[in-house]
Amino acid sequence: MQTPATSIQQKPAWRRTLDTNGVFLLWTAFLLIFPFLVGAISGTSPTGRRGESVFQQGVMIEYLTYAMLAMSYNLIFGFTGVISFGHALFFGAGGYILGGAARALGGETGVIVGVVLAIVASTGLGLLIGIVSLRLKGVYYAMFTLAVAEMFYIFFRRNPETGSEDGFGLGSSLPELLGQRIVLFYLTVILFILMFLFIRRLMFSPTGAVLLGIRENENRAKTVGYNTLRYKLFAITLAGVLATITGMLYALLNRKVGPEMFFVNFTVNPLLHTIVGGIGTFIGPILGAVGLSWLERTIRSTVLTVGESQINIGQWWAIILGVIFVAVVLIFPYGVVGTWNRAAPHIRKWISRFLPGRNAESG
Amino acid sequence: MEGIFAPERRSTLIAVLIIFVGLLGFSFLTTGADMAQLSITLLSGLLQGMLLFLVASGLSIIFGLMDVLNFAQGAFFMIGAYIGWEIQHAPNLMKAIPDPNLRFLVGIAGAVIVGAVLGAGLERGLLRPLYARPIFQLVATFGVSLIALEVVKLIWGTAPRSWTEDFTLSSGEFSLFGQFFSTYRLVVIVVGVLLIVGIAVLLKRTRIGITIRAGVEDSSMVEALGINVRLVFTGVFVLGCAVASFGGVIAAPFLGASNAMGAEFLLGAIAAVVLGGLGSYEGTAIASLMVGIAKAVVAKFSVQYLNQPVWESLTPMILMAAILLLRPSGLFGKE
Amino acid sequence: MTTNPELILEVAEIHTFIGQFHILEGVSVSVPQGSITVLLGRNGAGKTTTLKSIMGLTPPRSGTITFGGRRIEGKRPFDVAKMGIGYVPEHRAIFKELSVKENLQIAERARGDLNQRADFIFELFPDLKRLYGLGGGKLSGGQQQMLAIARALVPDNRLLLIDEPSEGLAPVIIESLIQAIRRLAQNTTVLLVEQNFRMASQLADRYIIIDDGKSVKTGEMSTLIKDEATIQKYLGAA
Ligand SMILES: Nc1ncnc2c1ncn2[C@@H]1O[C@H](COP(=O)(O)OP(=O)(O)OP(=O)(O)O)[C@@H](O)[C@H]1O
Ligand SMILES: [Mg+2]
Repeated sequence: MQTPATSIQQKPAWRRTLDTNGVFLLWTAFLLIFPFLVGAISGTSPTGRRGESVFQQGVMIEYLTYAMLAMSYNLIFGFTGVISFGHALFFGAGGYILGGAARALGGETGVIVGVVLAIVASTGLGLLIGIVSLRLKGVYYAMFTLAVAEMFYIFFRRNPETGSEDGFGLGSSLPELLGQRIVLFYLTVILFILMFLFIRRLMFSPTGAVLLGIRENENRAKTVGYNTLRYKLFAITLAGVLATITGMLYALLNRKVGPEMFFVNFTVNPLLHTIVGGIGTFIGPILGAVGLSWLERTIRSTVLTVGESQINIGQWWAIILGVIFVAVVLIFPYGVVGTWNRAAPHIRKWISRFLPGRNAESG
Repeated sequence: MEGIFAPERRSTLIAVLIIFVGLLGFSFLTTGADMAQLSITLLSGLLQGMLLFLVASGLSIIFGLMDVLNFAQGAFFMIGAYIGWEIQHAPNLMKAIPDPNLRFLVGIAGAVIVGAVLGAGLERGLLRPLYARPIFQLVATFGVSLIALEVVKLIWGTAPRSWTEDFTLSSGEFSLFGQFFSTYRLVVIVVGVLLIVGIAVLLKRTRIGITIRAGVEDSSMVEALGINVRLVFTGVFVLGCAVASFGGVIAAPFLGASNAMGAEFLLGAIAAVVLGGLGSYEGTAIASLMVGIAKAVVAKFSVQYLNQPVWESLTPMILMAAILLLRPSGLFGKE
Repeated sequence: MTTNPELILEVAEIHTFIGQFHILEGVSVSVPQGSITVLLGRNGAGKTTTLKSIMGLTPPRSGTITFGGRRIEGKRPFDVAKMGIGYVPEHRAIFKELSVKENLQIAERARGDLNQRADFIFELFPDLKRLYGLGGGKLSGGQQQMLAIARALVPDNRLLLIDEPSEGLAPVIIESLIQAIRRLAQNTTVLLVEQNFRMASQLADRYIIIDDGKSVKTGEMSTLIKDEATIQKYLGAA
């Protein structure tokens, strides 16, 4: 089924790197030239505040933040096997802390202090929640995290100091530089790629192996002598910090924060993205997040014209999403990527039967 | 029930007692020892507790028996309320059945039937194929609750529906220490008590109850004794959904019907189930009342002194988080 | 008894998987009507999995299981049970939250089963009568084992599958269990799993040895007792 090992050995080093990372490099290149590509196609400037290219950059930033949120969620849900319903807590915390610091201090200082403060605070929050609640089992942990996140949601929705329901805008307190879409775009792309590489690196390290072991069978990992609580604590804190970073990007993109950042939607969406894309895979969450967000954007803006009447199918989005989701759960239990990984060898074998001269392939 | 008074439960019972006495005392102080205020606060707490119980009981028994946390339970409550509202207020039905009392009864029957049918569909269609993958079940019921909400929005819109059609019971009032309280709410409390007792008797005294309790412990052993456990699963699931839907319809005359009520009651019920101890029926009943009364007491306090109604909605979650930290499996839960 | 050639249960070449693990790799078991047949084998050999496969709790992927002339592989456990097979699982899986009475009631297949069989059950296990209202979790290990067996006696079963009844029990209690099983085997065929070789040799007419997921040897118990080599090879020091 696989290429014989020897043929890989014979290739030069750069070819091997390209073979294993080609797709990744291709996508990186695509993201890096994206503003100019759209600019060239639409004849608009990639810089400035307006125009097709700038607008599309905004869309891409949004997709990438959803993808990052899903990646961070996948770290605990997919790789460690801990189900949390409180991921939105970290997302919202990132937004509100950055926003609060920016509003209080203003300019570059505000952003820098906000970023540092948010990361420190989310580390603390992750450790705190972990320490008090990780001994809770499965469903209890899920409920506990849901409760904590929901408390924050309700609190910020009703707290007049932070603008209650509306939240508050950051526009005037952010430095000029971040006001340029293309700067934010490249910032997001860089963070996105770093996060991807970091998670991949982590999961191939010994620590990652223990996390996978906990997912498969926590008791066995415990018997083998690992302090599983400590590893889980590490995983949820790390996932929390990554979600916080994502929340900050989201706030910078929208130039405002609001209580909806604490709402269960920002837990449910990464959960759905991960499941649809493929639990415990590297690109599954990205694919799920980008694919579903794209679909949502498309459907929401589509108006069907049937005879005389116009049907705005945008309002059907949640139902469509629900149906997709249920279908995936029932038909592709491992998500798109997971199912593909399982099926690919069979499909390749099947295709190779029809390719002349290659059916001798064995192995 | 011997279970709840067993010696090893003594510390739990004492804790429960302390919490209730604490709530009472707190409410006594906030109301300035005014009997009228106090009794109204407690009655409305009891009322909320009963409604929570109607959602929580299904949640608890279903979880105990089949290890499924049914996130759609709140949606059934909401659907029940909308169906009841619709049957009461639909112009055609108002013509066909002029008697509002009768229409209300029809509404109850309609809501219960719809709840049961939808519940059966959900269990058969979505949960059955997923018993081997519990995380997916959790997520699937979550998905269903979102779909249900959207469907309700499509049919009834996002504006809350308030109850305008009176019937005999809903317009009656009685007075307690000089304060008026609607007779209908009292009836709902009584119905709640009857249901608590009724389900307890069902679980304790009937063959199906024995089967359910045994299934909570080890469902494959029950099956090996010659009982079709999956049929029992479906039955219990349907019952749980029907009861939640029933809760929605009987609450509709004073709560109306709104998009938000499903999530609100789900969260309250989850708090009650978890702090009572997942899978423990007595725990769920006691915790539902506890959460209901705590909400009412906190509401009274925060409106009177803090001018901050937010604390009422936070109460179930805070109570649950606090008790989970003290007892990782809830009040009556087992390790 | 053992000369009766009619087989009440015949398991032929079953293969059972748990998850992706291939646990049974060809197990065949024949149980003559009216006999006590014992499954022997080391820890982890696949004895419990064999019983569970018969019950349909871990359905075999291939092979056949015939009970009373009818094929039962692929049937759901409750259907298998209703055909007249009583299952006494290992580790005495009684319902700890249920009283002794309820543990017996739940096994009724028709109303009145328990009333009909109560005398026989209490004659076998007089302790249970005294403990009737007590919670299952409060019983001692031996009493729980008796309850687990009694539970399988409530309906009129034609075959009992009993998994390691002596596990973790004191010798006196094992002795009384031997008496009880011998007594109940007068009306019912028994397929027993037992690590305690002494108990097995006192009770069983026939044996089947399972090793590493395969049935490797079968015959009369009386010949096995003399066959030191086989005992050494498959069961370790007896
Ligand atoms: N759920 C499972 N997943 C993976 N392997 C399993 C599972 N259950 C049993 N096994 C394996 O199947 C094999 C047979 O188990 P089984 O319980 O049938 O053995 P046994 O002969 O009854 O042993 P014992 O005398 O210890 O009860 C063992 O190696 C066991 O590890
Ligand atoms: Mg065994």
